Amino acid sequence: MTAQDGADLSQQAPEQLPQDTAGAETAPAKSAKGLSARQRRLSIRLLRVAYPHDRFPDAPYERTAKRVEEATSDEELDSLAQGLDALDADGFMDADEDSATAALRAVDQQPFFRQIHSTAVVALYDDREVWDLLGYAGSSFEKGGYVSRGFDDLDWLPDPRITEADETRVEIVTDRAAQ
Amino acid sequence: MTGQTQGKTIDQNEPVVVIIGSGAGGGTVAYELTSKGVPVVLLEAGPHLTADDWLNDEWPAFSQMAWLDARTTSGSWRVATDFPNLPAWTVKAVGGTTTHWAGATPRFMAHEFRTKSVYGGIDGANLLDWPITLEDLAPWYDRAEQALGSTHRHGRPPLPANNNYKVFANGAQRVGYRFYATGPYGTNAEPYDGRPASIQDGFNFQGDKNGSKWSTLVREIPRALETGNLELRSSAQAVRITHDSAGKVDGVEYTDGGELLNKQAARIVCVAGNSIETPRLLLMSASSLHPDGLANSSGQLGRNYMRHTTGSAYARFERPVHMYRGETMAGIIADEAKHDTSRGFAGGYYMETLSLGPAFLASFIEPGSWGREFTELMDAYERTAGMWMVGEDMPQERNRVTLSADVKDNLGLPVPHVTYDDHPNDVAMRNHGYAAADRIYGSVGALGVHHTPPYPSTHNLGTCRMSADPADGVLNEWGQAHDVPNLFVSDGSVMTTGAAANPTLTIVALAMRQADHIAAELSRGTL
Repeated sequence: MTAQDGADLSQQAPEQLPQDTAGAETAPAKSAKGLSARQRRLSIRLLRVAYPHDRFPDAPYERTAKRVEEATSDEELDSLAQGLDALDADGFMDADEDSATAALRAVDQQPFFRQIHSTAVVALYDDREVWDLLGYAGSSFEKGGYVSRGFDDLDWLPDPRITEADETRVEIVTDRAAQ
Repeated sequence: MTGQTQGKTIDQNEPVVVIIGSGAGGGTVAYELTSKGVPVVLLEAGPHLTADDWLNDEWPAFSQMAWLDARTTSGSWRVATDFPNLPAWTVKAVGGTTTHWAGATPRFMAHEFRTKSVYGGIDGANLLDWPITLEDLAPWYDRAEQALGSTHRHGRPPLPANNNYKVFANGAQRVGYRFYATGPYGTNAEPYDGRPASIQDGFNFQGDKNGSKWSTLVREIPRALETGNLELRSSAQAVRITHDSAGKVDGVEYTDGGELLNKQAARIVCVAGNSIETPRLLLMSASSLHPDGLANSSGQLGRNYMRHTTGSAYARFERPVHMYRGETMAGIIADEAKHDTSRGFAGGYYMETLSLGPAFLASFIEPGSWGREFTELMDAYERTAGMWMVGEDMPQERNRVTLSADVKDNLGLPVPHVTYDDHPNDVAMRNHGYAAADRIYGSVGALGVHHTPPYPSTHNLGTCRMSADPADGVLNEWGQAHDVPNLFVSDGSVMTTGAAANPTLTIVALAMRQADHIAAELSRGTL
C-alpha cells in the first residue's frame, strides 16, 4: 500500500470504496466520452444549489463537477446527461434558488442525483480551498501538532477541571440494587 | 501484495501457538506468551504500516488502513442503508484497530458482568452473566492500564483541556454532572514507557504519527519480536482452522497474497480477528465433526453481535471552537454510566468528546442530506463542538454474523454478512443521550445541536461469547472453546455482554489473563 493508492481511493464516496483488491481491478472504466459544455455548466449549477455556501467562490464547485464527471462510468454517463438535460428543460439554469432546490427535491432519489451526491459530498469537502474557507487547517503533525498552536485557545468559557471528581459514583440506582 | 515475515523463523510443520490477528487481543497474547518463552507465529491479514506511512488526511488514511474487504448487511440499523458494504470501521494492518483507536479507557462496572441478574428479563434480549466478575479481572485491569499508560491512573497525570473539552466540560458542570475529566485515556500526557507526550495533533483515527498513543504496533509487537520467540507474518490472512480426528485443532491455513495456500501447524490456536472476522473464520472452518462451524455446539457462534449504542451530537456556537485541535476523545462524562431504570432503559452510557475533519463530517453528520439544512452544519465547522455517546446495547440472538450465501471475496470465500436491529432499549438510551447532549451544549450557548446517527461500528463485540454453561455460549471463562480445548478466542468477540465502556482496555485485560492461563497450562502439560 502506498500513499498514491490512498490518494486515488480518496476520490470515492464511502459506499463506493472498492470492497477488495479484485473489486478495485474491475472497477468501471472512466468515461471516454464526457458531458457537453452546457451539461458541465448545469452540473456546476446543480452543485451550487445542492451545497449552497454563499461565501464559496466557483472554483471548488468547478473542481467538484470535474471529479463527478471523472467518477462517472460510460454506463452511468447517459443517465447523468439525461438527468441534467431534464433539469435544463425545466429552466433549472436560470431558476431562483428556491425553485431550483424544489426541482432537485423532485429528483433526489433518482440514480443520477444519488451518483452526483455520493461523489460530490466527498470531493467538495475534501477540497483544500474549502478547508481554508471552513477554518480547518488539515495536516498538523509536520507543524508540531497544536500543542503550541492553539489546541486550548478557546477563551469564551472558563478553564474546566481536568481531573476526575473526588467522590464515588453510584453505579446502580434502582430497587434492584438491593438484590 | 505478498506476505512478509519478521523475527524468529519457525518451520511450518512445527506445531506452535498460532495467533490470528495482531490487534488489542492478539498482539497482547503474543507478547505475554513470547515473554514467557513460548514460541508463537502471529498471522496478520494486513500489511506492516508504520508511523511514516500514515497520513494526516482522513480519506487517504481510511483507504490506507481500513478493513475494506467485501461485507454485506441487513437489519433495521441505519448503517445498512447508508453504508451497506461498510458495517464496521476497523483496521487491516499490523497492530489492528489499536492503530486507529481513539483512546478512552474506562473499566467495566461490577454489575455489567452480571446483567442477567441485575437487569432481569428484558424482552428480546439474550442477557447472560459473565463467567467472571470484576473482582477476577481487577488485577488484570491494573496491568492493562500500566501497559496502555492510561492517564489519571497509577499516578499518571491527566491530559490538558483542549478546546472541544472546554465546551463539553463547562456544559457538563452547568447541567449538574460531576463525573467529567480528560480521561482515563491511553495517550501520554507526559513521556512514559518509551513513548513521548502528545503533541495534540488532532489525528487519532489516521494513526498516531507521534507515537504517544498506545498500540500493539508500538508496544507489544516490537517487544515480542525482541524476545526472539515470535515470527510475525503480515499480509497473511487465515482462511481455515483444521483439526485432527480427536477434534483438537492442529493447523491454520492462510493466504499471503500469492497463489498458494500456506499451512502452519499448531498446538494451540488463538483467534483475534475482531468480532466479524473471528466468527467468520470459525464458520468457514466447519467440518464433519463441527458441521455448524468450529466450536459451535451451542449454536451461539456468530450470534449476539453487539456494537454499542452510539450516536453523536454536533453543536454550533457563535464563537470559534476549533474542535479538531488536540486529542480527539480526551473528554469523558460518566454520570450516565449507571443502571437507573427511572430513565426508561437498562444499562448506561458515557459521553466522550469527538471531532471529525470536514471531509469525514460531510459524509457522516447526516448521510444523504443536502441543501441549506446540510450546509448550515458544514458552514459552522469552525464554531462546532462534538461528542459521541457510547453505551451498552442489548445482546440479541438474531443480531449476528453469518456467511453470505452469494457474495464471495477475492479468494472465492463467502463474505461475512452482518445483521443488526436496534433493541427498544438501545433506542431509548440513544434518545436519552441526544437529550443530554442538548442540555449540555444548550447550557453553554449552542445555537443548534445536530443529532448524528451511528457510524459504521468501531466497537464490535460478542459473537463468540463466554459462558459458564457450554449450552449458553462458545467459550469458557478463559476464552477457551467449550468444544475444543486447544482453541481460544482473544478479542472482543468473547464478551458475554458489551457494558458501556470503550472495549480496548477490557480486551487487553482479558487477553493478559488468558495468556497467563495458557502459559500455566502449557507448563503443567495440560494443553
